[in-house]
Amino acid sequence: MKKIEAIIQPFKLDEVKEALKGIGIDGMTITEVRGHGRQKGHKEVYRGQEYNVDLLPKVKIEMVIPSNRYEEVLRTVTAAARSGKIGDGKIFVYDVAEAVRIRNDDRGESAL
Amino acid sequence: MIGESRLSSPQETFLATGDALTALAERTAQVDALVSRAAAETLFPALPSAALLAVGGYGRRQLFPYSDIDLLLLFASERAAVDGKEVISAFLQQLWDSGLRISHSVRTPAECAEVHENNAELNISLLDQRFLTGDRVLYAALAEKLPRFVQSNRETLVRNLARLARERHSKYENTFYHLEPNVKETPGGLRDYQLVCWLAQLRDASGSRIEAPQTSPELEQAFRHMARLRCYLHWQSGRDNNQLSFEAQDSIAEQWDGGDTARWMREYYRHARAIHRAAVRDLDRVEAASSTLLAQFRDWRSRLANADISVHRERAHFRAPQQLETDPTLTLRMFEFTARHGVRPSFEAEQQIGARLPRLRAQFAEIDDLWKLLEPMFGLPHAPVALRAMHETGVLTALFPELSQIECLVIRDFYHRYTVDEHTLVAIRNLWEIGGPFRDLRSEITRPALLLFALLFHDSGKGMAGEGHVSSSVNLAQSAAERIHMPAPDRDVVLFLIRKHLELSAVMQSRDVFDPQTAVDVARQLGTVERLKMLTLLTHADISAVNPTAMSPWRAEHLWQIYMMVYNALTRELETDRIPAPMGPPERVEFLEGFPTRYLRTHTDGEIAEHMVLEGSSRARGAAVEIRRLDSAWQMTLVARDRPGLFAGAAGTLSSFGMNIVKAEAFANRRGVVLDTFTFEDPMRTLDLNPSEPDRLRNLAERVIAGRTDVRALLRNRPKPSPPSRKARILPRVSFNSEASCTATLIEIVAEDRPGLLYELASAISTNGANIEVVLIDTEAHKAIDVFYVTAEGKKVDEVRQQRLAEALRKACGVPAA
Repeated sequence: MKKIEAIIQPFKLDEVKEALKGIGIDGMTITEVRGHGRQKGHKEVYRGQEYNVDLLPKVKIEMVIPSNRYEEVLRTVTAAARSGKIGDGKIFVYDVAEAVRIRNDDRGESAL
Repeated sequence: MIGESRLSSPQETFLATGDALTALAERTAQVDALVSRAAAETLFPALPSAALLAVGGYGRRQLFPYSDIDLLLLFASERAAVDGKEVISAFLQQLWDSGLRISHSVRTPAECAEVHENNAELNISLLDQRFLTGDRVLYAALAEKLPRFVQSNRETLVRNLARLARERHSKYENTFYHLEPNVKETPGGLRDYQLVCWLAQLRDASGSRIEAPQTSPELEQAFRHMARLRCYLHWQSGRDNNQLSFEAQDSIAEQWDGGDTARWMREYYRHARAIHRAAVRDLDRVEAASSTLLAQFRDWRSRLANADISVHRERAHFRAPQQLETDPTLTLRMFEFTARHGVRPSFEAEQQIGARLPRLRAQFAEIDDLWKLLEPMFGLPHAPVALRAMHETGVLTALFPELSQIECLVIRDFYHRYTVDEHTLVAIRNLWEIGGPFRDLRSEITRPALLLFALLFHDSGKGMAGEGHVSSSVNLAQSAAERIHMPAPDRDVVLFLIRKHLELSAVMQSRDVFDPQTAVDVARQLGTVERLKMLTLLTHADISAVNPTAMSPWRAEHLWQIYMMVYNALTRELETDRIPAPMGPPERVEFLEGFPTRYLRTHTDGEIAEHMVLEGSSRARGAAVEIRRLDSAWQMTLVARDRPGLFAGAAGTLSSFGMNIVKAEAFANRRGVVLDTFTFEDPMRTLDLNPSEPDRLRNLAERVIAGRTDVRALLRNRPKPSPPSRKARILPRVSFNSEASCTATLIEIVAEDRPGLLYELASAISTNGANIEVVLIDTEAHKAIDVFYVTAEGKKVDEVRQQRLAEALRKACGVPAA
């Protein structure tokens, strides 16, 4: 099993969710986060005063999927979240040791 | 073995008759018998001097199907209770094994007659105590003590009970309009009905007995409705479930009301409202009566009374309620009083209004210019409190029948927590209580009543059939606005806000807010900074009213970023986007040609006509100036042929009069006619208190602009303000930016504000050969934040001139030359 953590632009969330649904991935956790990578934020001038917008709003999507599907999921998320500009986000992939469905104690991929 | 299965007949009674109270009494009687038998078998053989009492709901004979059974085991002494521990355990175990969920406590009569600050529920549950079985002499000791205890500790018991109730209400956001209410705990539920009963018992308790409470028929009917619901929920789910979920609503509507869930839920809210109003009225009464500090405040508040309304115990009363028959505006004056002072109408006043509602509806329809009466009220500090009171008394729908479709309306979705009318009222409250940078934005809105009206109607179309509610809401708002004679320009603003009320949410969700094109697109749709500000505030209030956590700090920040980006796009557009080919008669075309497009959007046809008249006057006199009172400030409009130092002269004139300029705009058309608008505050109220001063200021401004008076001499006579403390000193900062705009150089100046500063800065720019295209001015305490868009010979300012300007501007800010 793999855990996929994708940090994307908030306005791409609906597209990414739809694309994942299209390949049969429904389970995910979504968090509103702030951050920056190479985009590094920028300065805004509002009524003569500078506002440092250094941490930009992003959305984090987390999901755990069977190992044999992770390339397909990566391709789907990347295609849907890409606008081509700096700030599109990043995807991290982790190995998952175990999954348990609390309701009935299912283990492994059948718990996903 | 005593089986729970033997308790099936109450359920049958209920299903056959729908009569919950009979079913509850039956179940209580069955449990009484079971408990007494178990006690006779297990408890009393070993502990003959104990007594068993039913308390709480069980004591009242209102034992719901899966509620805990509250038992009190009474012992003469703590020692006796400790000695009987094993027997008590065996007795309780027998009851548990038979399927009864027992919640028990073991007490002595003395313990029952003590105030339990940390367990106020125990004291309250004893108000409903009932002897079941056991030692009657021991029970008699308690029955004698209890009324005396209640009488002598009445105030403490009431205070503790009120505290518990307020905590519970606050957990449910103080409203009964929840989409999936808990019929026991939500405000307006069974617990509130009980609260009314307990408060009555505490109030009426004599030293010798605690009477059963008497309540009104309306309250009794509401109680029966809630009891019926709770019985249904318990038996349907087979547990102590009090949540009226969407599924439960459907299944109840199917069984009881032919499947019309919406109508059935309205019935629920009507009963919840009756219980909630009674509970809040009684809570207010006891809290007002028990607080000395509040009593002092109340005395002070009673001074707010006027010819129509008196204030007693923090509530507003009609002095002559009979006048309501002939004067419908008296009702509106009551709510205006609430909006001004935050003092809500008394229960009696609400009833007096409620009794006249049908007549009021007809009378309101006959008032011409209703908007003139409503607009001042909608802008007052406690307008949301007044609107809620209007809603609760039915006056809001009497004024605006268009809103009746959303009354108690449940629209199901995953995020919304309240009915549509409650969501609307919460949104309006949120607008008044808005925090963070949005608070400043709120204070900059000159017509809050328009924003409030837009919020009132933004979801009104949700009660209409068909896809999407926005256009229905616009239609309903339009018909209401026309009926109350809202002027067309105001109506346009309101309808625009309703039409666009989902726009910024959609941008947040589906557009890259850091893409400059997004800001430009949104700016084009909204048109003016004023509309952007109003829509930003409306969006914030609307999202926050979905549920208490919907407006996360993340989302608020996101919205603020959109606001800033669009604000900048709008203000930069000022000096780039000019009216290409105006429409209308030749003199209008001639006047408008070359003004920024913003001018057309920010001014009504009436204002443009006034400006054209001003221009006509300026031809003869060289300049024409008009001064008018706005809601909380003044405005000076001037029209003149452009000439160097014109803006500086006008700013200097206002400063010489002690005025504080908060906003300014400067436009020029193709023929070199300049139209400047200054919005300013009059801190000493010179213009208000001296009727001849506005005219004198106008004449002086015309003389200065025409070059007949030296503004420098006027400013020399102004008293110098005392400087702020050293720590609060503002270090002047002048910066240039030639990237922010396509055609002009932006100069930002932050400096310590002082009379004439704007004049000095504008003079410095003019005397260095630069032309001021746009000015944005703000003042925060003694800090001036001025932004000028300037050009030199029609282009951006070059490096050499920038250096010269920087030096002159620093000098104007008081920085010594390097």
